[in-house]
Amino acid sequence: MGRTLRLGSDIGGTFTDLVLASDDGRTFEIGKVLTTPDAPDDAVVVGAGQVMAAAGVTGDAVAHVIHGTTLFTNALIERKGARTALITTRGFRDALEIAREHRYDMYDLRMKRPVPLAPRHLRLEVDERVLVDGTVLKPLDEASVHALIPQLKAEGVEAIGITLLHSYVNDAHERRVAEIIAAALPGVAITVSSDLVPEIREYDRTSTTLANVYVKRIAERYLGRLQDRLVKEQGIEGALYVMQSNGGVSRIEEATRYPVRLVESGPAAGALAAAYYGALTGHLDLLSFDMGGTTAKACIIDKGEPLIAPEFEVAREYQFKKGSGLPVKVSVIEMIEIGTGGGSIARVDGLRRLQVGPQSAGAKPGPVAYGQGGTEPTVTDADLALGYLDPGFFLGGRMSLDVGGAKRAIAAKVGEPLGLDATAAAWGIHQLANEAMASAARIHAIERGKDAARFPIFAFGGAGPVHAYGVARILRSSRVIYPLGAGVMSAIGMLTAPLAFDFVKTFPGSLDAMDWAGAMRVIDGMESEGRSIIAKSVAAEDIRFQRFADMRYRKQGYDVRVPIPAGRLDTQSGAEIKARFEEVFERLYGHVIPNTPIDILSWRVIALGPKPELTLPTIKAARGGAKEALKGHRAVYIPGERAFREVPVYDRYRLSAGAELQGPAIVEERESTVVINGPGTIRTDEWSNLVVDIPKT
Amino acid sequence: MEQPGGGYPEDLTQSAICQDNSQDNEPLTVPMPIDQITLDILWSRLIATVNEQAAALIRTSFTAIVRDSGDLAAAVFDRRGRMVAQSVTGTPGHINPMATGMVHFLERFPIDTLRPGDVLITNDPWMTASQINDLTIATPVFKDGRAIALFANCCHALDIGGRGLAADSRSVYEEGLYLPLLKLVDAGKPVEPIFDIIRANVRTPEEVIGDIHSQIIANEVGAEQLLSFLDEFGLPDIEGLADEIIDRTEAAMRAAIRDIPNGDYRSEMTIDGFDDTPILIKCCVRIRGDDLEVDYAGSSGQVPLGVNVALNYTQGYTTYGIKCAISPEVPNNAGSFRPVRITAPEGSILNAVHPAAVGGRHLVGHFCPSTVMMALADALPEKVQAPGFDGIWNSQLEGELGGDGHKRFAYIWFSAGGTGAMHGKDGLSAVAYPSGIAGFPAEVIEASSPIIMHKRELRQDSGGPGQWRGGLSQVMEYSITTGKPVYLQSFYERTKYPAPGLKGGSPGVAGRLSANQEKQPIPKITSQIEPGAVVRIELPGGGGFGPAGERDPAAVLADVRGGYVSKEAAERDYGVVIDTARWVVDEAATRARRPAGA
Repeated sequence: MGRTLRLGSDIGGTFTDLVLASDDGRTFEIGKVLTTPDAPDDAVVVGAGQVMAAAGVTGDAVAHVIHGTTLFTNALIERKGARTALITTRGFRDALEIAREHRYDMYDLRMKRPVPLAPRHLRLEVDERVLVDGTVLKPLDEASVHALIPQLKAEGVEAIGITLLHSYVNDAHERRVAEIIAAALPGVAITVSSDLVPEIREYDRTSTTLANVYVKRIAERYLGRLQDRLVKEQGIEGALYVMQSNGGVSRIEEATRYPVRLVESGPAAGALAAAYYGALTGHLDLLSFDMGGTTAKACIIDKGEPLIAPEFEVAREYQFKKGSGLPVKVSVIEMIEIGTGGGSIARVDGLRRLQVGPQSAGAKPGPVAYGQGGTEPTVTDADLALGYLDPGFFLGGRMSLDVGGAKRAIAAKVGEPLGLDATAAAWGIHQLANEAMASAARIHAIERGKDAARFPIFAFGGAGPVHAYGVARILRSSRVIYPLGAGVMSAIGMLTAPLAFDFVKTFPGSLDAMDWAGAMRVIDGMESEGRSIIAKSVAAEDIRFQRFADMRYRKQGYDVRVPIPAGRLDTQSGAEIKARFEEVFERLYGHVIPNTPIDILSWRVIALGPKPELTLPTIKAARGGAKEALKGHRAVYIPGERAFREVPVYDRYRLSAGAELQGPAIVEERESTVVINGPGTIRTDEWSNLVVDIPKT
Repeated sequence: MEQPGGGYPEDLTQSAICQDNSQDNEPLTVPMPIDQITLDILWSRLIATVNEQAAALIRTSFTAIVRDSGDLAAAVFDRRGRMVAQSVTGTPGHINPMATGMVHFLERFPIDTLRPGDVLITNDPWMTASQINDLTIATPVFKDGRAIALFANCCHALDIGGRGLAADSRSVYEEGLYLPLLKLVDAGKPVEPIFDIIRANVRTPEEVIGDIHSQIIANEVGAEQLLSFLDEFGLPDIEGLADEIIDRTEAAMRAAIRDIPNGDYRSEMTIDGFDDTPILIKCCVRIRGDDLEVDYAGSSGQVPLGVNVALNYTQGYTTYGIKCAISPEVPNNAGSFRPVRITAPEGSILNAVHPAAVGGRHLVGHFCPSTVMMALADALPEKVQAPGFDGIWNSQLEGELGGDGHKRFAYIWFSAGGTGAMHGKDGLSAVAYPSGIAGFPAEVIEASSPIIMHKRELRQDSGGPGQWRGGLSQVMEYSITTGKPVYLQSFYERTKYPAPGLKGGSPGVAGRLSANQEKQPIPKITSQIEPGAVVRIELPGGGGFGPAGERDPAAVLADVRGGYVSKEAAERDYGVVIDTARWVVDEAATRARRPAGA
């Protein structure tokens, strides 16, 4: 065959995106089909057929399919998973409900706590007790396990999470409970906490374990069916891989064991795309900015890699409030998400302040301009009223927009209460959305010891290119990069993801008195397990390992993840690991703490396959410059002049490499519109990216 | 003499600027050089600025509790010392007292005497957060040589010398190093003697001095952002913006107060106190048009123990309770304090005078929000919450480790009981209101101390019965593994006087401390725990709301099914009979018990 074709597919709320690409760059087909919520695999199978037909290939040419979906996230949010029970140590079934005891919202007396995935009458207890050092205070009373079986059967339990105290140091009791239960209840899904998340803190561990088992059967059924259908209906025999929230992919065997690791797959793949384009265009530090219909996400790409966090939350009660969701301790590409998107509703509050979001008109009814019954003005309505969107070319002309309706709603709901005309009100909505996103991005950067102004912005998502220039000006960022295909970045990002598998093991000790032989046994164990998993798909010599230690100053609440050296670790390694810890700590917190002992809590290994090659198609340079891409002119609002002005509108697909434009200008593609409503130099590079340099004001 | 309550000494506010502050109560449209949308943008930018200030402080703090739970406050003030915007972090005890504290700095150091590079500090409990561990640091911002604003933040120091936070200190002199209003950095030059004195007086100088530097840097981050956005919008200062923000906020707060019928609304709350002497918190909320006054006259007098409250802390928690009930969406700034006046007689427990010991002021101050909401229950039945456990439970253990007998350990943790119910909503179980402080996982407690937890579960039937049930508390059982006696200091409240219900709801169950040993431990008194003894703490539940007889039988069924309420209590308290074989309400038996209901 010579060349390898791979297919990326990402299921989003409205569209399922597909990208079929060859490693030599000769094939690069993008497809977009409407998502089919009741049977999400339908859209994938149909879309796969479409892109293969467009590329003139058949299923046997496709080596891999990489897939990402929000199915599991939705099941957790909508509480549509299995009927789930918890088995835990006697006396501790309420750890899940006592949770952290804090308030995530200070003033709202009607604040709600997330409802546990296992109701209290299905949180069952067994007699056993392991202590913090792994010793057994009370052996497992197996009779107490058997005693639960009739109840589990009678209640029709479909999934069981097993979390016993301190199982992260000694998992023997958890394993034995799982054996007994599995033998007695063969059809029931089981997740053992020490398998998935062998880390201290019983609430977080239990929450993660239950979230996993809650969606396990859904994952098995869905991924199995998808794989079957790709083979039968499209002739794709190549392996199916699933995108994980940590930025790697896994085989479906592992993915169905740990489906909770798939939860943030779409956003993670978007961040990977940012890292890929950054490396391609020579921007190793980037601020990835993804604005869609309901939310905006920002993620820092640092030295070519997205930052990784050890945990996140799903199914937040308050959509964007930290602490209001179910904690999930799995590695995830770190990003900030706020409730500002094209569908965000603008309103005037009791203090006559203009507020944008987080309430969203969603896809249905959507913005007023969609003409599907929406009555509340949204960010998209404002963008339309300001001339930033072409009512006849939305989604490449698939949908026509009602400008008059949008303007009337803005005038009535925002303009009148504030004594403003429709244009001033629309500008207010647009700009306040920009302010909210810039502020979130800046705080996200500060929290990580970074200065957002130093980062070029990588803009994608349906609304990202409309707003990125405005956000950049607020952040005083001097450059924005707009990739071609703003709407399919996650599907493209999936094609850059390596196979990856995460391991973590708690083996605590003080850095200056570490049992290095013991630590090496733990690390070797994880690496050999990782090797055996990854070697099923790639050659042994291509397997890489990354090692980390979770470290902290003694008595500090926070631990930080520190990259540690490969090879054999021993007493001599202590000084280097300490130096690396101090480097990480100082970057995060601005200082080190002298004369304080340092502890290691857990060891982590990531086993990785090679990064796949992805070659983007290039375009030719042409002498004509931008003239032939000029579609016409239209009046758009220029904030610097506080007036509408006729500006040139370009067809993105006809811009040749090296073409240079000056802002203000509009550049249209099918899925989005690049809006430069002020000064700036716009260059097209050989991969069709627009690189916009904003002059210092 | 009573101190002026609730906000800013009017003379200072008005002397600083000659403007008409008459309240015409209509939404104000002060002529501004900026348009409506620009105002909204500037306002959101100002809030972003203080959030960045807080993020910088959290990021660089040496203290785990600051980083973990955001236990701090950060804000920007105008030239007149009025708080204009505040970060969304912290506890009510930090946030509100700092807001009202800036005027004291400016009385001592008038704004136009300050120079670029100056940094001010204090921990005066009567001017800021009512505890000398809470250090407030303020920094003026200059533009074209003129002071245009101040940034300040307040943060809990890991140590401040003295006895630490013992509730049985007799005066503030025992509680640690007292820093009056001082210039810590003078025109860019650190005043080294102050640093030396702090360093020499605290147990953890690295961390304490490190945090002070973090506090200084955080203010600089805020100042930098402020100056750059003033430049962007061509503004000389924030005075016009501050007027607009504060006036609008005040108008919104006044509108919320106007919705409450005029009247005097009274309540009383009795809590355990010390040595068999309960503490009475008595309040009268007076509504007159759009003015709200809370008067704590009749409350107990100050005590020779460390649980006295400085008035600014009383005001902080009271304002917080009012805001939760009537205006949770109104921003917190000088405007939201203006229409509210809070007083307590001088020398009372809620307005203790120097040198009263105040280190444990939360043991009393945490009950202010519930007392005020009880008073407002008739006026705002759908907005207030019944009292809950209120005062955070703080367990401190100290003793010898095993082995050679010379090494000792000390361990502290916090726990939450149940919150009160309100119209349309059951109370929350094991959630800290009003403090919001997080608890500790059992595994972390065991990893950090010689404690074994034997049980940690919700306490059945502890939530006060009502149409909406009070939140459940929790039960913990633990023992110590050292084989030596240890000493327990238990800052536990509501062990004698439970959380009352509201509008016909019943009280929650009182808390309890016990151990399986001969001499029983006693809350708030240092008690010896014998080797091997199992200590059991049962926290107080939240009060119920509305008559229990009107609770939806389906809700009672769900409570019994989950074991939150026992079958017996369902029959006794709610008159609802549950068939536990089929998990349905026994309609006939229930009808017989609840003639009027169901």
